[in-house]
Parts: sequence; C-alpha cells; structure tokens
Amino acid sequence: MRLNRTYLIALLLVCVVGCAPRNYQPGNAQLRQFKDEAGRTLSVPARVDRLVSLAPNLTEIVYAIGAGDRLVGNTTYCDYPAQARQVEKIGDTLHPSIERIIALRPQVVLVSTASQLEAFTKQLNDQGIAVYVSDPHDLDGVFHSIASLSELLNQSSAAQTLLTDLRARTNAVENAVKSAAPVAVFYQVSAQPLYTAGRDSFVTDLIRRAGGKSVTAEVPGAWPKFSAESALAARPETIILPTGGSLGDTNSFVADPLKSSPAVTNGRVYKINADHLSRPGPRSITGLEEMARSLHPELYK
Amino acid sequence: MMTVAIEEPQSQITFQGARMTLRKTLVVCSLLLLGLLVLIVLMSLLGSETLPVGGSICAIGTLGRGDCGLTSDQSLILLNIRLPRILLGASVGASLAAAGASYQALLRNPLAEPYLLGISNGAAVGTMLALVFLGSFEWARPLMAFSGALLATLLVYRLAHGRTGATPERLILAGVIVTTFLSSVIVFVTTLMDATRIRSFTFWLLGDLSGTTNELLVIAIVVAVLCTSVLAANARSLNLLMLGERDAFDLGVEVSRVRLIVFVAASLLVGSSVAASGSVGYVGLVVPHLVRLSLGGDNRMTVPAAAISGAVFVVVADTIARTVIAPRELPVGAITAIIGAPLFIYLLKRG
Repeated sequence: MRLNRTYLIALLLVCVVGCAPRNYQPGNAQLRQFKDEAGRTLSVPARVDRLVSLAPNLTEIVYAIGAGDRLVGNTTYCDYPAQARQVEKIGDTLHPSIERIIALRPQVVLVSTASQLEAFTKQLNDQGIAVYVSDPHDLDGVFHSIASLSELLNQSSAAQTLLTDLRARTNAVENAVKSAAPVAVFYQVSAQPLYTAGRDSFVTDLIRRAGGKSVTAEVPGAWPKFSAESALAARPETIILPTGGSLGDTNSFVADPLKSSPAVTNGRVYKINADHLSRPGPRSITGLEEMARSLHPELYK
Repeated sequence: MMTVAIEEPQSQITFQGARMTLRKTLVVCSLLLLGLLVLIVLMSLLGSETLPVGGSICAIGTLGRGDCGLTSDQSLILLNIRLPRILLGASVGASLAAAGASYQALLRNPLAEPYLLGISNGAAVGTMLALVFLGSFEWARPLMAFSGALLATLLVYRLAHGRTGATPERLILAGVIVTTFLSSVIVFVTTLMDATRIRSFTFWLLGDLSGTTNELLVIAIVVAVLCTSVLAANARSLNLLMLGERDAFDLGVEVSRVRLIVFVAASLLVGSSVAASGSVGYVGLVVPHLVRLSLGGDNRMTVPAAAISGAVFVVVADTIARTVIAPRELPVGAITAIIGAPLFIYLLKRG
C-alpha cells in the first residue's frame, strides 16, 4: 500500500513535470528555421503575428516596416512612434517581467545584445518562445537588422522601400562631407562622471560617416568612463551632447574640464536628440544628418 | 599621606609620558605629512597624459604663476584637473581613516569602520536623495550626506545597545543590518531613476574622485582638517573610553559629551567624503590598524597618524585607478578594496 502510494506520487510528479508546456506554440502551424543576427537558429511559425520587443530601437524598426500592430508587448522605454506607448508594457529593457511576457503568449521575443539577457533567453526558450537576438554595431548593422526582421515578419516589400530611402539619405550625407576635412569630435555621454563613446559604439561609426573623427574612436569598449585630462589633451574641435528625447534635459552641459577646449571657446558645442543617436534603428539616419550638420555647418547653409 | 605619596610620582610619570607622546606624535606626523606632500607632487606627475617633469614640478611650486614652459593645456591638466583630484583623494582618505580610528576606539570594536557600520551607506542615501529631490541646491549634497551619516550612526548605536548592553557582536550585526537595509533603499531609488543616471550613479557608489566640483573639494578639505583636529583633541578621552564607558566615567571623562563630539565629527568627515566621492571602502578599516601595529595603540598618535596615512593610501589608490587602463578609468573604491582586503587578511593572520 505504502509502496503504491509512493509510486503514485512519483508518477504524478513525472506527469506534472513531463506535461509542462515545453514545446508550446500558439496556433502550432508549420514551423520554419530562421537565423537571427547573432547566428542562432530559431524555429518560428510561417507567419509571426505575436511579438514582444525588449528594446526601443527594435520597436522602432518593427513599426517602420509596418508590423507595429503585431506587437503585443514592449518596454517602458519604447515611446516612439506614439502608438508604441499604447502597447502593453512588460517592464524596462534591463528588468523585463518574464511572467508577463509568457502571459502575453508571443511567438517571438526580440532582444538586443546590449541588454545581456542570456539567462532570460534560456527561460523563454524552455517555454517554447523563440528569442531573436539583434546585434547592430554600425549603420550597416542597422540595415541588416531591418532586412532580417522584415524577413522574419514577412514584410520584405515594405522594408525594401524603407531601406532604399534610408540608404539614399545616408549616401547623400556621405557625398556632402566627402571632400571636407574630418573634424575632431568629443562625444560626451555624461559629464559627471565623464563617459564617452568608444571603439565598439554605434555612435563612433555615425561620427565617421558624418565627416568627423571621434577622438575616442580607439578606446576599447562601447561606453567607457574617460579621463578628463585626455579629453582636454585631445583638443576636440566639436563636442556633441546627446540630450533631449527620453533623456529630458540631462547631459545638456559640457563637463567642467572641457570648458577650455577649442570646441567650447569657438562655440562649437551641439546638442542632438539622444534617441536619434542611442537607438540603432530608422531614426539613426536622422541622427546622422543632424551629426553632419553639426560637424560641417558650412556645407549646410 | 600614603595616597599622596603614591599618587604624586604616578601623575608625574603620566605627565612626562604625555609630553613624550606629544613629542613623538609631532615628529611622526611631521614626517608623515612631509611624505604626503612629496607623494602629492610625485603622483601629480602621473596620469593618462604625459607632462614634462621639470615644468610640472615648477608649475606646482609656483602654483602656475611662474613661466615653467608648459602649454596652456598642460598647465590646465596639471593644476585644474589632476591636482584638485589628488587633493580631494587626500582629504577623503584622511577623513575616512580618522573617522575609522575614532569609531574603533569609541565603540571598542576593531571592526568599526564607516563602510561596515552602514555610515557610508547612510551618507550615500542622503546624497542620492539630495540629487533626486534637491538637484539644483549645491549645498544639499554635503548637508544631506552628513545628516544621513549621523542618522545611520545613531541608528547603529541604538540597535547595538540591547537590554543586555552593547557587545561587539551586536554592534557588527547592527552595522550589517543597517548596511543591507540602506543598500536596498539605494537599489530601490536607482531603479526608479532613469537609465542614464543609473550608470553614473553605480559608478559613484563604488567611489569615484573624478566627478566633483570646486565647492565640494573646498568643503572636503576644510571638514577633513577641522574634524580630524577635533577628534585628535579628544584622543585622550578616547584612550580612557577604551577601558569601558563606566571606567572612563569614573576617571573623569564626560562620556556622553565625548560620544556626541566623536559621532558628529566622524559623521561630518564621512558625509563630506561621500558627498564628494561616493563610498570608498576599506580605508577606515585597514589604515588605522596598520598605524596601530606600527606605532602602538595610543589614540593621540593613532588618530592624526591614521588621517595622514589614509590620505597617502587613497592618493596612491586613485593614481592606480586613473592610470592603469588609461585613458579609461576605474572607480577608486575598486582599487582600495583590491588592496585593502588582502592587507586586512594579512593583518588578521599576524594577529
């Protein structure tokens, strides 16, 4: 009797564990294999119509390729376009609520490598939810993200129109600044303590394309804390302050030690909407245009 | 008659002893101070940018007034960026070490230290609230940091005194509880703040000497000098307090007055350093112990000597922090912990 009961409990346990919805797929349609930007292979339904985005730049791309209505969840940082604010919030990029994501029954969750969600990715995979990892390091990476996401969402023709336009605008900027001498730029992420954009940052590529040379282009890392004396010694001709947008009025002043740099004495400090520079997506091209206008005002009279 | 005959030579001995200690303290502290000044000059020659050595020494000597052959950028780097940062490091180190030495004597606990007792975290919460709610008010940071440090001190002291009196274990337990409670307050508030401020804030929490204003530097230096002097002036009472509060009272120490003075002075020291530089750990623990091991346990010596040695410790640690991966920087608190923890284990092993 006793043995039987033990067996019964064990059996129940096996059943409970074994019957967990491991391969749960809503509308379990034909699955296809798909490679994301990190080179991982995902199994996704033929038509993906329930999406969660965990990064504001990915939300912007999804809207720009005309698939915004398929977003069932996004983060509190996702504030553009305006409709993105109405989508259910699953927390912020760094602290998403896994329970709420699972409750929304998405087929694919879009994450950015910047958010470092390895453990989280595994939990979602265990629930049968595919995780698409996006990994743009430069403008080409953004074009690739747009093309790849449009393939995932079967929006290739909308994406073609968008990409043609974005590439044309990028070429226009690059042609305009082609013959101008590169301007030495210091990109101030925050004043106290002093942070900047390093070698691995998306912004470093934008500055180069806009006819500038970031004085911190060779510094390892994406957002290093930087020595104030080295920033001054580099004698930046222009200082860019990413501010406004979702940042509000933070970072709207140059750090004290840089007050005597050529950029400040010549009045060449420019503010650019932080959201255009920190979110690798369609609006990055607007950021590129604003950057080129700041670095080479003489070309845009 | 008997008592007089016994007391007289004793008081003479203590009187001579006091003069001996005073002379020894003056000699040792002058030597340490000289060492600190030399160190400040030497460390100001190091940095992510290379400056001409002769010109730099000349510029520091003349405070930038003489013509030392430096370019204007070089003299800005030396005198407006590097030197103020080194001076801030020195006052932060002196403040934390003097506060640590006094807490250890007053609370009769070798582990008493601003960081471990939760006092640094109290100051950090104060600074954070000042940043969030009183951002535009320049004096709010040090004032709120001081209030936070004082409140945390009183809280730990109260918690440590149970019905059965205070024991060293109770004090450390109270410190751990206050520290973790305040840490979670910090986590709570940083989560509510926006993403860009969090990054600079977590850096600041680890101790960072790079982001400060001239006002905070002046406050830090003035507070360090004044409050360390106050603590040193009460060092004799601290010596007697190490015998226990009751015995100290019997020997004529106004226990509650001394306790209040030490709490307020040490909280001012911790508050002004945290407001200027975040929480730099281990200075208040390792430096006083090193000083006691090499110079003996008399607080009249320990308090001032620990202050100067603390300045040396933080100045060296910050030079490492700003040069080792230049032009990038590390938080100085990471370096003091990396040096401090093994040093403390070594001291423990030596007994």
